[in-house]
Amino acid sequence: MFIGSMKVQFLFCIAAALLVAAYGEEDDNDGARLLVAKLIHNKYLVENMDVIVKYTVYNTGNAAALEVEITDNSFDPDNFAHMSGELNARIDRVPPNTNVTHTVVVRPRKPGYFNFTSAEVLYRRKEDAPRLQVADSSEPGLAYFTSYKEYDKKFSSHVVDWAAFAVMTLPSLAIPFALWFSSKRKYEKLSRNTKKH
Amino acid sequence: MKYLTFFTIIQIITSVFTENCQKPEVTALAYITGDATILTQIAFTTQFSLKCINGIKGISLYAEVNGKALPAVRLSAENKYQVSWTDDIKTTFSGDYSIKLYDEESYSAIRKAIRNSEDPSSIKPLAVIVLNNPGIYMGPWINSEFLAALLAIFVSYAAFSAKSKLLA
Repeated sequence: MFIGSMKVQFLFCIAAALLVAAYGEEDDNDGARLLVAKLIHNKYLVENMDVIVKYTVYNTGNAAALEVEITDNSFDPDNFAHMSGELNARIDRVPPNTNVTHTVVVRPRKPGYFNFTSAEVLYRRKEDAPRLQVADSSEPGLAYFTSYKEYDKKFSSHVVDWAAFAVMTLPSLAIPFALWFSSKRKYEKLSRNTKKH
Repeated sequence: MKYLTFFTIIQIITSVFTENCQKPEVTALAYITGDATILTQIAFTTQFSLKCINGIKGISLYAEVNGKALPAVRLSAENKYQVSWTDDIKTTFSGDYSIKLYDEESYSAIRKAIRNSEDPSSIKPLAVIVLNNPGIYMGPWINSEFLAALLAIFVSYAAFSAKSKLLA
């Protein structure tokens, strides 16, 4: 039932695999092997507006990964407001061929260029693994945060601007109309008076 | 923007096993990204702390939302968890999303029920968090320039028709 979106996720993870660096022993294919993708789900990156950061962990190994810990230190609090979700998360167990996601929402405090770097992942490849495996997630890379002013110029509904335009055009419409209307009323009164005579 | 605080909920399950969480009490904080104009997906995030009356700590939790299974991710503070997911903008609906939380035992029971195509709703969740989505902003309902053009057409039509009536 809930395996539907997995195929798509899996493709993501394959793409991420090229970037993922898994250090450590290459000798055995035993145990868990995690691919971690860090993705940004935004059309536009704007100052003081939500940025969705999603970490997808996919286990390609043949055993469950244990004590998976994702730590992302790349969003420092001076430059980012953390809206929701924590940048340090622990997943107890990632079974083989499944993926687990973790989502965090941050807001950039300043406009400008920003390099989205990788998050660090620690996990245990099997139950009796002597030490933790270290891995890095994929890197979304360099991005540009547009200032809110610039974004607003392009995408706001400009209601105030058009209202101002309407007010400015009003005199050129209203003054002739008022003149015509008053003269019309005058003549109507006049013609009514002449009819009485 | 839409910071929703919930004081939730619920204490079902009074299981006989001692290692189970008794009378769970959940305090949750949730955030839904409300402005879809800059996003490709909608993110739902909720963080909550779980308190059991019998003092059980550090249990693994699993969540189920609309048929999607998600493990609850553990956060740095003790007994604090996060459940988060993203949805397509098109499939997101406004209203209540109930996040059902299960412990390891009831979750495996659910999976077994799904495998045997039985009704999984018979298994009671440990707790339920209700997340209210007040609606996603998809951009203005009508473009203001369109509205302005419409108004201009209306005004000029009124003016020209009045003029032709006078001249006739």
